[in-house]
Amino acid sequence: MRLRRTAGHVALGLLGLACLFPIYWLYAASLRAPGDVHDQSPLPWPLSLENYADAFAKNDVAEMLLNTVTVAVLTALGQLLVALLAAYGMAAWRFRGHRLAHLMFVGIWLVPFQVTMLPNYALLARLGLLETLAGVIVPMSCSALGVLLLREHLMNFPKELLDAAKMDGRSSWATLWTVVVPVLRPVLAALGVLLFINAWNEYFWPAMVLQRSNAVIQLGLRSFMGTEGNDWGPLMATAGLASLPVLALYLFLQRHIVDAFVRSGLR
Amino acid sequence: MTGAFVEVAPPRPRGEAAPSAARPSPALRLVRAAPPYLYLAPGLVLLVVWTYWPLTQTFYLSFHSWNLVPTSPMTPVGTDNYERLLTTPALADSVGRTFQVILGLLPFTVVVPLVVNLLARGVGGRMGAVYRGVVFAPMLVAPVAGAAAWMFLLDPGAGMVNAVLGTDVNWLNSTATAQWAIIVITGWHLVGFAVLVVAAGLAGIDSEYTAAARVDGASPGQITRWITLPLLSPTLAFLALMTVLLSAQWTFPLIDTLTQGGPAGSTTTIHYLLWEYGFRSHDAGLTAAAGMIFFVGFMLPAIPLARLADRTTREEGR
Repeated sequence: MRLRRTAGHVALGLLGLACLFPIYWLYAASLRAPGDVHDQSPLPWPLSLENYADAFAKNDVAEMLLNTVTVAVLTALGQLLVALLAAYGMAAWRFRGHRLAHLMFVGIWLVPFQVTMLPNYALLARLGLLETLAGVIVPMSCSALGVLLLREHLMNFPKELLDAAKMDGRSSWATLWTVVVPVLRPVLAALGVLLFINAWNEYFWPAMVLQRSNAVIQLGLRSFMGTEGNDWGPLMATAGLASLPVLALYLFLQRHIVDAFVRSGLR
Repeated sequence: MTGAFVEVAPPRPRGEAAPSAARPSPALRLVRAAPPYLYLAPGLVLLVVWTYWPLTQTFYLSFHSWNLVPTSPMTPVGTDNYERLLTTPALADSVGRTFQVILGLLPFTVVVPLVVNLLARGVGGRMGAVYRGVVFAPMLVAPVAGAAAWMFLLDPGAGMVNAVLGTDVNWLNSTATAQWAIIVITGWHLVGFAVLVVAAGLAGIDSEYTAAARVDGASPGQITRWITLPLLSPTLAFLALMTVLLSAQWTFPLIDTLTQGGPAGSTTTIHYLLWEYGFRSHDAGLTAAAGMIFFVGFMLPAIPLARLADRTTREEGR
């Protein structure tokens, strides 16, 4: 038994080390003094923020980060709102086409982005949304995962509360915002965090909509990586900044984030 | 049939219907039936405009020749695009490489998570939580940032990997290793997620089964082989199918930033081929035809996965 426990610790410890090391090495390199980037010593010493200053000076990192925050927050909020309305519509009424609507939401898991990208690109061009942040946000604002998850929660919503609201003569719209949303707040918060992380890390869609421009941090990082003769220090600093918000969220909400990902997996 | 619990003022009333006493007029019936459709409208409109209608357009495009320029005409070419695709080796090669990536990822998404979890069944409490927190972290690192971190580790001149191995390999620029580098980096992103999914699956197995088997004198090995693994198989199937989907999502940014499909096309998977056809060669017809072939092939693993996922979200709500 004792041997078994040791084997477990060794297995998890080695895996944990392999998972953590590249992240640690990224931040370690970003914090080294510019001349020491290729240093292989395990601890970065002396510490220096010069690489970060360099990244901000050379690369408009501040603007990219601001744009990425805008895109991720608005995408997550849009997805939450659209999903809440659709889930409410599906859970609170019986109506013709209920099954079809459900299938349509499940069905988008079957259509990879790469299959629809050209017509999407042509439509974005016609709407004048190419190379705009709105073009990144608007088409992404329906998340099947969000709809299906909220629908299941709403299906199990206490009917007495809804009946009471009806007795009070409240409209369905008022019921949604004064009765349903307050009760669902924890679910909405967890889903919101998951959607924010997905939107922050999304690469394919922004790369298609924004093409060669570097408006968001993921794309800025790409163009930085492409330059000849890598300037590792500032590159590591930019990469560190590109993952910092999500990792910081993770530090505070670890259990919730893991639960949300493991239970849903899909977007 | 309508108005299960409310039937007053929908958010955006359509049509003006005066309430009549005896039989509801058709207009009033319409207003009463409207609310669920109005609530569903934003989501469904987005789906149709950005997914389902474009899918039919891709099908249409696949029989035409067009260069993506709005002002230039589309000319019908019959099945030309499909014939061109099937006669050049590029498509078959990229499909082969896509399978290679998926197979290469299975150790990271199924085998290692299973082995680690079986070994670590005794590890719980505070240390267990720390391990779980650490192994999951790479899933949250943006793929491009992960690419940058690994580019630094794999750098032929000053990278940690060559220093430790005492080698001098240009990992990302040699046809023998580039594909493996992409697989390992993707595996690094996903392995922790898979570990936690298997852990959740193991936790869901009723311990009474194993306890009963132990009473009957079964050895730990027998219990694992004949009780735990069969009960865990839906989770493992879910992960295997998930690998197909996640591999597309996670390898694309890595390929686009680290190798651009090279060297000599050795990392061009079907996802990257479609991207190149569309936005490098500007050959819309060929891209659409390749897209349709990809779509049909993709449905095979995706349909069971969508059903599984649909069922999982249902259980999650309970």
